[in-house]
Amino acid sequence: MTSAMSPSERRLQKELMSLIKDPPPGVSVDAEQAEQNLLQWTIHMEGATGTLYEGESFQLQFKFSNKYPFDSPEVTFVGSNIPVHPHVYSNGHICLSILTDDWSPALSVQAVCLSIVSMLSSCREKQQPPDNAFYVKTCNKNPKKTKWWYHDDSV
Amino acid sequence: MGWKSFQKIKNKLQWKVGHVSFVQRVTAASKKNPSLEFWKLAPKTIYRTQNMSASTSEEVRETASSSSRGDGGDKPNTKEEEKKEDNLLECNICLDTAKDAVVSLCGHLFCWPCLHQWLETRPNRQVCPVCKAAISRDKVVPLYGRGSTKQEDPRDKVPPRPAGQRTEPEPGNNFSGFGFGDGGFHMSFGIGAFPFGFFTSTFNFGEPRPNVSPHGTPQYMEEQFLSKVFLWLAMLFIAWLLLA
Repeated sequence: MTSAMSPSERRLQKELMSLIKDPPPGVSVDAEQAEQNLLQWTIHMEGATGTLYEGESFQLQFKFSNKYPFDSPEVTFVGSNIPVHPHVYSNGHICLSILTDDWSPALSVQAVCLSIVSMLSSCREKQQPPDNAFYVKTCNKNPKKTKWWYHDDSV
Repeated sequence: MGWKSFQKIKNKLQWKVGHVSFVQRVTAASKKNPSLEFWKLAPKTIYRTQNMSASTSEEVRETASSSSRGDGGDKPNTKEEEKKEDNLLECNICLDTAKDAVVSLCGHLFCWPCLHQWLETRPNRQVCPVCKAAISRDKVVPLYGRGSTKQEDPRDKVPPRPAGQRTEPEPGNNFSGFGFGDGGFHMSFGIGAFPFGFFTSTFNFGEPRPNVSPHGTPQYMEEQFLSKVFLWLAMLFIAWLLLA
């Protein structure tokens, strides 16, 4: 079975197994759906306790190309509850450098989920990005087509 | 472990998010709310995903043992150890046991085909996938196990995947006198440093000149017109040369 898989599917299968086996806190993957189509996963995420998002739950959609892990996954918030956050647009697009420019094949779905939980958890005031209305009207459906501008390179 | 190694990882990943720096916000959040146990969990999980390299193996061992205690200490010890060994020899990109293994100067293990593909993906920003240190073909060391029959440098092999992979260009090595000279040859004539008669006769060498079209056809008219235009151009050029 494994020999018939492409390298990207093989790696995704491994990641799926490890994510099912020990997911980061508050994160769970829709295993059935992911197993049916390895190139598109839905991940449920809960706001960490003690943060502004405590008690809320979100859905993340991961889309992988067959160049994964050399090509970053397309990650967006989907569903009815999109977090109100300065780096999350109301259409679900996320401004996070590791999703485009700073992607590395050593990162994984798990690492991306963790970064997103962290990003949400460190928020001190729930507000939409300043350019939300304009961006949502003009952007491409695929967030990877957006030329993101990551502020503060000093980190 | 804990906060200190989280700092380390954070530096490694070089997260850059939005308007406020990530570090600022993380530190602020954790100072404000020390109950953020979540942060202390983070390093464990990241390490486990990234499937360690020699440089951080100590921390891995620590993580692995603490996690095994967590999810079921009743498993036989030997099996755990075996698994640990396996993880240590996994490629950081494909997560399989490294094949044609190479190790970067920063200590991270990869299959050569995997790393090669990554280097080709971003040829002008070649960084280690794990720690973002500068990396290149010359900055990795091939690993030879005892079992390998031929001690051949994995970097010399054409990566076996993907199927259509092109071989790595060797800058400067494929100099061919003829090809190189050819380029200069065309250049000098194109500039028109020589009289046009020479130009027309040498430019077409190697291939026969096309036959003259029969009288009266549109091609004939066109050719006549073109030759007149070029004749005038040549005369103007020579006149300019003489006057200047």
